[in-house]
Amino acid sequence: MQVGFYFDQTRCIGCSACAVACKDWHDIPAGPERWMRIKYNESGRFPNVFVSYLINPCFQCEDPVCIPVCPVGAISKRIEDGIVIVDSEKCLGNIECDSKCLKACPYDAPQFGPVKGSKMAKCNYCLDRFSEQKLPVCIEACRSHALDAGSLSHLREKYGNIQKANNFIYSERTKPAIIFKPKD
Amino acid sequence: MENSEIGEKEPKIIRTTTAFDCGGRCPLRVHVENGKITRVESDDYHVEDEQLRACLRCRALRQYVYHSERLKYPLKRDGPKGSGKFKRISWEDALSEVARKLKEVKNKYGNSSIFLATGGGYLGALHDGMFAMIRLLTQFGGFSTHYGNVSSEGAVYATQTQYLSPFVGHSRTDLLNSKLIIMWGWDPARMISGSNTIYKLIQAKERGIKIICVDPRYTDSAVILADQWIPIIPGTDTAMMVAMAYVMIKEKIYDNDFLERFTIGFDKFSDYVMGKEDGIPKTPDWAAKITAVPAGLIRNLAREYASTKPAALMDCQGPARSAVGELYNRCAMTLTAMTGNVGKRGGSAAGGLMGIPYGHMFFSSRIPPPKRNPVEEGLISVRGSLDLQLRFQARCHTNKIFDAILEGKKGGYPFDVKFAWFVNNNFLNQLGNTNKAARALKQLDFMVCSELWLTPTAKYADIILPVTSAAERNDLTRPWPSGPYFTAMNKAIEPIGECKSDLRIAEELADKLEIEDFQKYPDELKALKFLIKLREDTRKNIRDIDEFREKGIKRLDLEQPYIAFKEQIDDIEKKPFETPSGKIEIYSQRIAELNDPDNPSIPKYMERWEGRYDPLGKKYPLQLLSPHPKNRVHSEMFLVEWLREVDPHVAWINPVDAKPRNIKDGDEILVFNDRGKLTITAWLTERIIPGVISIFEGAWYDPDENGIDRGGCVNTLTKDAFSPGGASALKSCLVEIKKFNGGA
Repeated sequence: MQVGFYFDQTRCIGCSACAVACKDWHDIPAGPERWMRIKYNESGRFPNVFVSYLINPCFQCEDPVCIPVCPVGAISKRIEDGIVIVDSEKCLGNIECDSKCLKACPYDAPQFGPVKGSKMAKCNYCLDRFSEQKLPVCIEACRSHALDAGSLSHLREKYGNIQKANNFIYSERTKPAIIFKPKD
Repeated sequence: MENSEIGEKEPKIIRTTTAFDCGGRCPLRVHVENGKITRVESDDYHVEDEQLRACLRCRALRQYVYHSERLKYPLKRDGPKGSGKFKRISWEDALSEVARKLKEVKNKYGNSSIFLATGGGYLGALHDGMFAMIRLLTQFGGFSTHYGNVSSEGAVYATQTQYLSPFVGHSRTDLLNSKLIIMWGWDPARMISGSNTIYKLIQAKERGIKIICVDPRYTDSAVILADQWIPIIPGTDTAMMVAMAYVMIKEKIYDNDFLERFTIGFDKFSDYVMGKEDGIPKTPDWAAKITAVPAGLIRNLAREYASTKPAALMDCQGPARSAVGELYNRCAMTLTAMTGNVGKRGGSAAGGLMGIPYGHMFFSSRIPPPKRNPVEEGLISVRGSLDLQLRFQARCHTNKIFDAILEGKKGGYPFDVKFAWFVNNNFLNQLGNTNKAARALKQLDFMVCSELWLTPTAKYADIILPVTSAAERNDLTRPWPSGPYFTAMNKAIEPIGECKSDLRIAEELADKLEIEDFQKYPDELKALKFLIKLREDTRKNIRDIDEFREKGIKRLDLEQPYIAFKEQIDDIEKKPFETPSGKIEIYSQRIAELNDPDNPSIPKYMERWEGRYDPLGKKYPLQLLSPHPKNRVHSEMFLVEWLREVDPHVAWINPVDAKPRNIKDGDEILVFNDRGKLTITAWLTERIIPGVISIFEGAWYDPDENGIDRGGCVNTLTKDAFSPGGASALKSCLVEIKKFNGGA
């Protein structure tokens, strides 16, 4: 099984309730370590403006490139659900290995705290909630109901298989587990 | 009641809510372990589409409650006023000092020199500091206070004029019955307007309902909702609305039958619109020059609005928070009558307040004071009157509080303030002209502040009393304007430090003031039961208080969505409007009798001051907007880092305005006028109409040694003035900007 996300970009107001809920649930202080980020895009000229928001958690790629680049094998992909997890005991920290995982990831999913030598941490699909059959906290935090999660095949049945969205490039190499209703 | 569960080791989920002045009211599930909040979740109602999902603010509740800057002990000033230097004192000493000072001022100057400044910082029935202090000071012999709510007084005045009722809203679900929604100066993505409003609008759009946004900014609401964005120069909305009326009259596409049956004064309005009154026909071409909206767009919108039934014209309160004030809502309401959309399913009566009378906070119960405020005894009643002067018999306007403190009776105010109590507000930061406010508070004899934080206002206090947050209280709360539901606040944790609730402070102070008949409510559960019984809507709907508190919410099942004035439109003979004429008053005799040329008896376009065409624009050519922030509630939650990091404090500037001033994206700029100077980061965006900059309100005032506000508090620049209808005119403000290179 491969889990994934669905994001309806036409509904997202960029409010960041998902990002704050994520920090609260995982008890992450304000600062550079952001498991959920919102990317902003603006184009056009007044008054013909186009604006979009894009969620950016770890997309739990089907072929995660962070795994092979890790010098100590601290990152792995769970066979049973495809969730990409990191063993912080093994992780060397961002100085010793020069943040190889972050550099490899096309979506900047690996995150580090403000302290030098911080161990990598990232969106883990709310593993603790997942084990209780609950969706990641960001999903129910969304005031616009723009997010969904679950098995990627179920999501495809429900929402189709659009792999593009504004301000997003689908990586054929890593195969991010996300489908969209894009804003255009 | 003591909650025996608190402090237990077993993890608990407490269903509760908060009482912020945010526009929503969301059920929360607060996880508590070992007496500490560990996580916050929101509504889990089984009908997912009807959930009332908390926004980012309450998602950050834990960081707010446990913030290191929260005040934990009573403080006494230990340095010059405003220096922010305080020392910890005991409650005994703090309350004794406050009581001593109250008695001294009362004896020396009389009760009218005791001033109570109340805001919307906590909207609960039992522990609201406003209710508690009103009751205490009334029984102490009275107090002076202020009139006019900062948010919506323009809309209040307008709806009092035309409907004589503030309940102009529909159930949010009724948006789905509309065929066209015009959002005019309304951004519920940020200012909430009901917990689920943005989602109802999304559902409306996805049903194919066309949504048009008229706004100087391409708001986050417009980003996802707008089929069409019509940018407009701030303060000129009424010119466009009047021109839309012109098109409807000229092309005879208005609902004459509706106007004849349900309104008075359309003939006079029509004379003004067509130019019979002043020789100026209010054509789309006339309006285009004023509004920057092309005449063709105005014409099309008028036709589309008049021919699409039902259609909901949704004005709000922001554009009325200006010198134009009430005229904006009055014009919008007039258009809703001209198109026959009042009282109709899928329509809208406009008026900007959006409230429905089910669970509305206006009906909040409170422990009633045993008598009227003696300082206001014997005054002429203001009920139903549109004469602001009656409001000023004993009070000052809210946006004039600091001027009144400075000028007193010699400045024409009805009192000289010698003692001021600030509760539930950060008014120095949140009213017009912050520098003047700082001057006023520096020279004020004695000031008490009930607060959770050392706010820019609290910094000037002589005594600060630390109060508990919603997480530390049991209470009964209501959704802001938009039920239909009631929410229960259930204490999740013990008070932080030595914090007390405002109710307890009033009770303890009553002893020190020797007010022997001050009613106390030591048993919270008993008090909540009493408050539920006090109002018909809670009495009828909350039968089982234990069940209510356990669920944290009582939803009402309305058979049909609530529609404002449906009863009147269905049968006007049986149920006339509350106005003197029994009809919608496009023309107001009550206003005509005031004989104020600046306050017209029919809605009009007027320029008033500090708009685009004020001659002051030569010196200060940019209009300044100060909309609601999304990541704090006004100035509340400002210090919460989880919220700060998701939306850095920036000024929206169109590149057209930035370029000639050599300002680049990310530059630090100085924004200034004769009232003040502030610094802020420039954010260049095409989302704002040229000639306008926008700074979200609520950032904390932080003046440096040169008097430049380095905190970016927008009210450093705004004016402490109000419109003829009493709107706090914070959005009529002209400024200039330049790149900031340090120094003055």
